Amino acid sequence: MSLRIVSAALLCLAVTGALAWAVLDRPLPEENLPERVAAAMPESGVDHPVTAVLLNFRSYDTLLEIAVLLLAVVVALALREAQPDRPEQMGLENPLLRAVMAWLLPLILIVAGFLLWAGSYQPGGAFQAGSVLAAAGVLLRLAGVTTAWLDNATLMRAGLALGLLTFLGVGLLVMIPGVPFLTYPLEYAGTLILLIELTLTLSIGLTLISLFRLTPPYADDPDEAREQQGKTP
Amino acid sequence: MIGLWSVPLLFALPLALGILSLLVTPAWRPRLIFVGLPLLAVASFDVLARLVVEGPRIYELGGWQAPLGINLVVDGLAVGMILMTTLVASLCALYARVYLRDYPPSSSFFWPLLWLLWAGMNGIWLAEDIFNLYVGLEVMGLAAVGMVALRATPQALAAAMRYLLAALLGSLAYLLGVALLYATYGTLSMAGLHEAAAPNVTTHVALALIILGLLLKTALFPLHAWLPPAHGGALTPVSALLSALVIKASFYILMRIWLVLGPEVTPIFTAQVLGVLGAGAVFYGGWMAWRQHHLKQLVAYSTVAQIGYLFLFFPLVTGTGPEAARLAWDGTLMMLVAHALAKAALFLSAGNLILAVGSTQISHLVGISRFRPMSLFSFGLAGVSLMGLPPSGGFTGKWLLLHSAILSGQWWWLIVLFLGGLLSAAYIFKVFRMSFREGPQIDRSVTPPLTLDVTALILASAAILIGLTAHLPLFWLRLGSAFGAG
Repeated sequence: MSLRIVSAALLCLAVTGALAWAVLDRPLPEENLPERVAAAMPESGVDHPVTAVLLNFRSYDTLLEIAVLLLAVVVALALREAQPDRPEQMGLENPLLRAVMAWLLPLILIVAGFLLWAGSYQPGGAFQAGSVLAAAGVLLRLAGVTTAWLDNATLMRAGLALGLLTFLGVGLLVMIPGVPFLTYPLEYAGTLILLIELTLTLSIGLTLISLFRLTPPYADDPDEAREQQGKTP
Repeated sequence: MIGLWSVPLLFALPLALGILSLLVTPAWRPRLIFVGLPLLAVASFDVLARLVVEGPRIYELGGWQAPLGINLVVDGLAVGMILMTTLVASLCALYARVYLRDYPPSSSFFWPLLWLLWAGMNGIWLAEDIFNLYVGLEVMGLAAVGMVALRATPQALAAAMRYLLAALLGSLAYLLGVALLYATYGTLSMAGLHEAAAPNVTTHVALALIILGLLLKTALFPLHAWLPPAHGGALTPVSALLSALVIKASFYILMRIWLVLGPEVTPIFTAQVLGVLGAGAVFYGGWMAWRQHHLKQLVAYSTVAQIGYLFLFFPLVTGTGPEAARLAWDGTLMMLVAHALAKAALFLSAGNLILAVGSTQISHLVGISRFRPMSLFSFGLAGVSLMGLPPSGGFTGKWLLLHSAILSGQWWWLIVLFLGGLLSAAYIFKVFRMSFREGPQIDRSVTPPLTLDVTALILASAAILIGLTAHLPLFWLRLGSAFGAG
């Protein structure tokens, strides 16, 4: 065992050393991509370079990344369905927590909305706003608040798919005049990006909430799981 | 007009079908293939027709040119891989529609995973951008891990977890390499890297990280330990998809990057090491396959062995003459396509044999030749290609590699090709010996549905046919590559 640890440590050192050497000895690039981004900004439809890269210049990467998020939920759904149903134990029956939630929720929603809107001219955007939205969902869950629409499987799946479906739909619809996939017409670029970001925020938020909710409530300690199974008839 | 549509449809269509199959009821999920498969076949053949008529082309996504935006490359290699994927994945899908009927409803999540896997693979084949390749790897890899976990038994979950960790480690190593290359050359586009790449420490460290990451994902010996439990333990159509197609994607990326960086940057020493690891895989995988007692484990170890042949590409193409390099390219791609067809056929027919005898043990196949000749025939045809007997694709591929090795004076690879073939014969005949042994006279075998036998037979026949008509696909695959002139 200690041999494994020593060799792993040596391997880590070697990789770190190689990386340090590679970074320190690095020749500077001749190609200046930030300059190209700056030059193309007026045609991007937004004012912040990160958003322009993520949702216009390299929007195809973002599209596939959203597919990765959806995939994670699909796998979680499959595994949850394959397991025998267990009683849901999550949620603290604490009146104080619920009272605080009533104050926090509107604030969280406002922050999420602001982050989304801010994405067009300063750091922010769908991923950040979606994560904040997800925090609200997690808090609701911890406080034991049940909402009909979060427990409705069909509605939930529609919400999960909405972002990717909109993104894909926009990418294909703009092709009708005979231009490549995801080529936004200049005059609508800002609006289309906002539409995509809006739906992405919702879907990213729901994705993270789903991953949290689909986790089986019990610790995956095998002894404990066996005990629990023995108790339930 | 349609030409412009068929390229993005190759990944947009499976993405849309993946979402759709999540929204419909489980009973409807398999039926989507009757819409999806014909459309994807049309798009694939349209792309091929345009390649042959109009030549290779670059597709600029979002209308942005390469260093700023992401380009797709539609050359012979990409189109060849797309057609291979369409053929193998379509037949696996038809197989799965029948096969999964006997499994619990949760296995219907196979369908969204299949479409997303397909989208990820087509994205990888078309990618011209090394970061986009990383995203493609993540889509494909996560879908593949999910498919392995579908069975939801403790063994399946353990195999999936192991696969996930190996795949993530591989992706992260690859991503580190990409970050270093971007920091050095300021571009992620392969065309830009091809012009700018120069031999220096940063590039070599980046190349080393990329190679290590992709070797882990391709499961090249000695980094193969995750493969047999994942491929051997999964549902049969999943095993076929993973062994035939998914591991080829990381090899394909390595091949592309190796050629992009060019002979000035790629060291001959590294090429020889990759060849030696390939040889190790051929011997170790073949030996381990022969020692297995479970049928699908045998087939999974056979994949470990067959991956080895592909890595002979690197020593045969680096620092050798143009003719030897062209033969190495032709031979490697022929091996790759033939293995995809033969291995899918082998897994599907192995699944049929397991269904027939109700056991995964090879020793329980006694007497099965009397009752399930068709399943065994597909298994044998696929075996012919894996052993490299004429006139199969496996034979043509090995023959081309052999010529390349002789031309470049690297006779030691001939030993690998020859002994590897003998080892393949040993493990294929191990199954046959058992099945022809006289067993109980009563037919206690279950008859699998005809679709299962037919799909396996089509794939096995394709593995033979591609060897007979190798000239044309090899000509197409060369279009737009550095070997096109030959």
